[in-house]
Amino acid sequence: MKSLLRFALAGLLLAGLCAGCGRKAAAPAAADGQKTFTVGFDADFPPYGFKDGNEYKGFDLDLARAVCAAKGWAFVPKPINWDAKDMELDSGSIDCIWNGFTMQGREDAYEWTPAYVDNSQVVLVAAGSAISAFADLAGKTVAVQTDTPVQKALQGEDEDNAAAGELGRTFKQLTVTATYNNAVMELESGAVDAVAMDIGVAKRKMADKPGAFKMLDEIVMTETYGIGFKKGNAELRDEVWAAYRALLTDGTVDKLAAEYGIDGVIE
Amino acid sequence: MQFWPMVGGLAKGLGTTTSIFCLTLLFSLPLGLLVALGRMSKFGALRQAMRLYISVMRGTPLMLQLFFFYFGPYYIFNLNLGKLGFWGLDYRFVAVVLGFSLNYAAYFAEIYRAGIESIPVGQREAGKILGFSRAQTFFRIVLPQVVKRILPPVTNEVITLVKDTSLAFALSVMEMFTIAKMEAAAHTTMVPFMVAGLFYYVFNFAVAAAMEWFEKRLDYYA
Amino acid sequence: MSAIPPDEMLVVEAVRKSFGGTQVLRDISFSVRRGEVFGIIGPSGSGKSTLLRCITQLERVSGGKIRVCGETMVSDAPDGTARYAPPAALRRMGLKIGLVFQNFNLFPHFSVLRNLTEAQIHVLKRPKDEATERALGLLKRMGLESKAGAYPCQLSGGQQQRVGIARALALQPEVLCFDEPTSALDPELTGEVLKVIRDLAERKMTMVVVTHEMDFARELADRILFMDGGVVVESGTADEVISRPKHSRTQSFLGRLRR
Repeated sequence: MKSLLRFALAGLLLAGLCAGCGRKAAAPAAADGQKTFTVGFDADFPPYGFKDGNEYKGFDLDLARAVCAAKGWAFVPKPINWDAKDMELDSGSIDCIWNGFTMQGREDAYEWTPAYVDNSQVVLVAAGSAISAFADLAGKTVAVQTDTPVQKALQGEDEDNAAAGELGRTFKQLTVTATYNNAVMELESGAVDAVAMDIGVAKRKMADKPGAFKMLDEIVMTETYGIGFKKGNAELRDEVWAAYRALLTDGTVDKLAAEYGIDGVIE
Repeated sequence: MQFWPMVGGLAKGLGTTTSIFCLTLLFSLPLGLLVALGRMSKFGALRQAMRLYISVMRGTPLMLQLFFFYFGPYYIFNLNLGKLGFWGLDYRFVAVVLGFSLNYAAYFAEIYRAGIESIPVGQREAGKILGFSRAQTFFRIVLPQVVKRILPPVTNEVITLVKDTSLAFALSVMEMFTIAKMEAAAHTTMVPFMVAGLFYYVFNFAVAAAMEWFEKRLDYYA
Repeated sequence: MSAIPPDEMLVVEAVRKSFGGTQVLRDISFSVRRGEVFGIIGPSGSGKSTLLRCITQLERVSGGKIRVCGETMVSDAPDGTARYAPPAALRRMGLKIGLVFQNFNLFPHFSVLRNLTEAQIHVLKRPKDEATERALGLLKRMGLESKAGAYPCQLSGGQQQRVGIARALALQPEVLCFDEPTSALDPELTGEVLKVIRDLAERKMTMVVVTHEMDFARELADRILFMDGGVVVESGTADEVISRPKHSRTQSFLGRLRR
C-alpha cells in the first residue's frame, strides 16, 4: 500500500518535472536585453494567421516577422482566444493584435495604424446551392464568426452599414460561431445555408476545397484591416507603421500578398 | 494537408495536455485533502471558509476561473502579464495549472469528506485506545481505508479532468484541442478533431486501466 | 504518594456524566484490585457502556474522580468542572487500560499480524522483530497462529474477537476492559471467546467486563456491579449480587433474563 502510493507519487512528480523542463525550453527566447514584439492573433484564421507544421504563418504574421527583422526585435507570435483579445492586450500579454483585424465598429477601442488591407465581406454558400444572390438569402440561416464587425452589421447594430442590417433582417436566423472554421463546418454539414465572412478567408476556403463552395457576387460591406495597439501606446504603433511602410516600398508586402492570395493591399 | 506532421503537432499538444493533467493531480489531490479536513474542522471559521471555497469553485464555470487566475494579476494588481512568469514558465501555463488545481481540489475535497465520514467511528476509537496519536490514526488507519472507498468517484473526476484540459484553450495554452482547432482551420478539415478524439480516448483508456489496476491492488480486503 | 494501596488498579469515585441535559451517570463509585475480574451488569441504557468509555477516555466525565494505578486521571476542580491530567499523563494512563470492543473494530486493511504489531511498533516503539514475536506468541495462545497472514474479513466473528483481545494484550495493559465482548457473536461462537477470557482470569489478568452473560459473570467475576438508570443499584461478590440479590430492581432484571 505504502510502496504503491510512493510509486504513484514519484510517477506524478516525474511527469510534472518533465513538463516543467519542457516548458522552460519552449519559453520565448528573449536574448539578453533584446526587445520582444508579441503579436496576438487568432490561429484559426488563415490566410492571415494559422498553424503550418510547427510554425505560425500567414500574411499578417509574415509581415510582422519582417518588421521585427528590420527592427532587430525578437518576434513572438502568440495565438490567443479571440474572445479574450482585449484582456490579452490590456494586460500586456501581447503588444498588438495583427490578424486581419477589422477597424470598422471598434475605431475608438484601439490605437490603430492606418488601414493596410481593404477587406470586403462576402457570402459563401455550398457549390450546389440554389442561392445565387442576396435576395435568395431571405428565410435562410446564415453563420458569422463571433465578435466581428460583420456580425454587428448584420444584426443592425452598425449605423454606417444600414444596408447590411436590412439584409440581416431577411434571414431566418443568424448563427454565431466561435471561429470561421466552425462556420464553414456548419455550411459543409448543411446546418446553415450561407456564411458571411472576409473575402480573403473565403478565397482560401475555396482553394482548400475546390468545388465545394461558391461566393456570391454582391458585397455585404466593405471594411479595412488595421493593426491594433493598446490605447495610449501610439509610440510603438508609429514605429511599427514606419517599418511597414518601408516593407511596402521595397515590394515585400506585394510579394506576400501574392503568395497568400490577398487582393486588397492599400498603397 | 500532410497527415503525419499534423499528428506530430497534436502529439506535442498531448504533451502539454499531459503536463496540465499530471500537475493538476499532483497539486489538487493533497490540497483537496486539506480542504476536506478544514471542512470537517471543529473551528467554525475554518469550516465556513472551506464551505465557501467549495461553493465558489463548484458554483462558477471553470473557464471563468481560468480567466480570473490569468488576468487577475493585471486587473487587480495592475501587473504586466507580458513580464510575469515563474521559473521560466509561461504564466499562462501557471494560471491554467493553478485554476485546474484549485477547482479540482474542491471536488476532491467533497469526495474525501464522503470517504472519511463513511469510515466507522470505531476505527478511530480503536486507534485512540491503542495509543495512536490523532495524526497516526488518520494516516495509518483512516486514510488507507478512505483511499479504497473513494477510488471509483476519483476515477470519474480524473477522467473528466483529461477532457477538461481542453478548456485551457481559453488562455491559449497550446494543448491538444487548441492545436486541433488550429489545424482544422488551417486546412478546412475534420481530420485533426478525429485524431485528437482518438488521442483523448486512448489517454482515458490508459487512465481507466491504471485506476482499475489500483483498485484490484486494494481488493485484498473487503 | 497517595494513601491508596498499590494493588488498587482502578478507583472510580462519584463519577458523573451528562450528554446535553441528560444525566447518564450519577455518582458512580467502585474500585478494582490487581488480579480481580470485575463484572458490570445491567439493562440496556443503564449507562454501563458509557462508564467503560469514561474509564478508557473515549468519553470525558462531567465530574468525579478516576485513578489509574495510583495516578489521578481526572478529579473535581473547585469550580465543579472535571479537571483532567495533562495530555502526556493521560496518554500514559490510557496505555495502561486496554479495551476489547463489542464489534471488534479490527483494522480491515491490515493482516491479523499487523493488527497486533502496528501499535507496538509505532506507539511503544518496539523493534519490529520483538513486536512480531510477541504477536505470534499471543496468536498461539488464542489458537490462531495459522491466521497471522489472513485479513479480518476472512475470519469468523469468534476468531475476530480473539484477535481483538490479542491486539489489546499486545500492548501489555495493566487493566483490560471488555465491552459486551460476545453480544455481536452467534451463540455457538461465544464459547471460544469466553474460554480465552477464562484463560486470562487464570493468569490473574485484571479485567473489567461489561456483559450480558450471567452464567459467565457468576463463574468468573470476583465482584459484580449492577447498574440501572445511571446509578449503582447494588454491588458485591458474584454470589451476593446474582444468586441472592437484595434489591428489587436487580431481582426483576435477573428474573427477566432467566425467562
